[in-house]
Amino acid sequence: MSNVGIVIVSHSPDVAKGAADMVRQMVGTGVPLAWTGGNPDGGLGTSVEGILGAIDAAWSEAGVAILVDLGGAETNSEMAIEMLPDERRSRVVICDAPVVEGAVMAATEAWGGSDLATVKHTAEELNERPE
Amino acid sequence: MDISTARHVVEAIAHRVVAHADELTALDQAVGDGDHGLNMKRGFDTVLAELDMLAAGSVPGLFNGVGKTLVMRVGGASGPLYGTLFMQLGKSWPAAPDARSIAACCRAAVDAMAARGKSHAGQKTMLDVLLPAVAQLEAGTDLAQLRRLAGEWAQATVPMLAERGRASFLKERSIGHLDPGARSSQLMIEAVCDALEAR
Amino acid sequence: MNNGTMVEDSVLLLHAAGLHARPAVTLTKLAKTFSARVQIAAAATGPWVDAKSVVKVMGMKTPARTQLYVRAEGDDAAAAVAAVVKLVNDDFIGGPE
Repeated sequence: MSNVGIVIVSHSPDVAKGAADMVRQMVGTGVPLAWTGGNPDGGLGTSVEGILGAIDAAWSEAGVAILVDLGGAETNSEMAIEMLPDERRSRVVICDAPVVEGAVMAATEAWGGSDLATVKHTAEELNERPE
Repeated sequence: MDISTARHVVEAIAHRVVAHADELTALDQAVGDGDHGLNMKRGFDTVLAELDMLAAGSVPGLFNGVGKTLVMRVGGASGPLYGTLFMQLGKSWPAAPDARSIAACCRAAVDAMAARGKSHAGQKTMLDVLLPAVAQLEAGTDLAQLRRLAGEWAQATVPMLAERGRASFLKERSIGHLDPGARSSQLMIEAVCDALEAR
Repeated sequence: MNNGTMVEDSVLLLHAAGLHARPAVTLTKLAKTFSARVQIAAAATGPWVDAKSVVKVMGMKTPARTQLYVRAEGDDAAAAVAAVVKLVNDDFIGGPE
């Protein structure tokens, strides 16, 4: 599948799975999608190993857009990207967007076949909107 | 520093952090999400469990391995931060270590950690202990002095306003609390000083 | 190729939640299947938003029982407008998978 893949990373596995469920229901199955949440012991937090697994599960030649919730999720996602093989590293981005809404927007954009930069930009429009 | 000394230092750091896990958790409950102690304990328990394997090769290999273990096991925000610190120590470890080259290596490691966290001094973080510690090493210091100063630097975070991490969400309410990351950094420095003094 | 002809229509938005969340995503997905430039508005005079932009469509917050205005220009403009109108009339069921 050549649509950009979406990865959801939350401190909570319930939030990550729930966000993924919402994306599936609203956008359908036409976008590679994976989620991860929880620290290595399964408590609240994030795990580099989990993120690497999710990137692999949602991998697309068009690249992967990662949605994160709070601080540690972003830092651990950055670590995970650095640990990817060379040929994949440049095709994974982290979006500066709220995790649930950003995932829905990014997945909708990806469904339409948009490239990685456009998918990231669409998710980040949420943080630009005037109140 | 040979591999046996390096192993001894790593072991001391790990034991010290694990022993203070409850304290770190309590500090983190005041300003963060209460998991700093748990996370660090998980990471360093794994380091201790795998120490034979990690210390089976070279000094740079040991530090790099400790860093990777922390990245994979700590979780939270401190995993990538301390992980990067140790991984960079491994990457930058000098071929012929002396006081000056070790200080330069530590500088590279702390700078890498600062870049990872997109932080600098004065934001009420680990850097408020580690950056002055590196400056002290570069200027040439004795271990007793470094150990004493580490305590002062950690204490100095109490009146600071948090600008990084979960504590930054508290804004003014973060003032009056010792930063948990600063405390764990202080503990590590104490452990290093104690371990080297004993050799 | 833009043939310069604007096709317009309007349809009563009866969907219970208005043009919100899932309907917005469905409408955006449908608009993206056409090459024409497609826009929608909550009033005949606009402001017109790009129907292919999910953030903008969701940002419209169009309540139920309002008239939704649709316009498009380009090769398949007529088909695009007809499809959007049909989707709204079908209560957003039957959009692209």
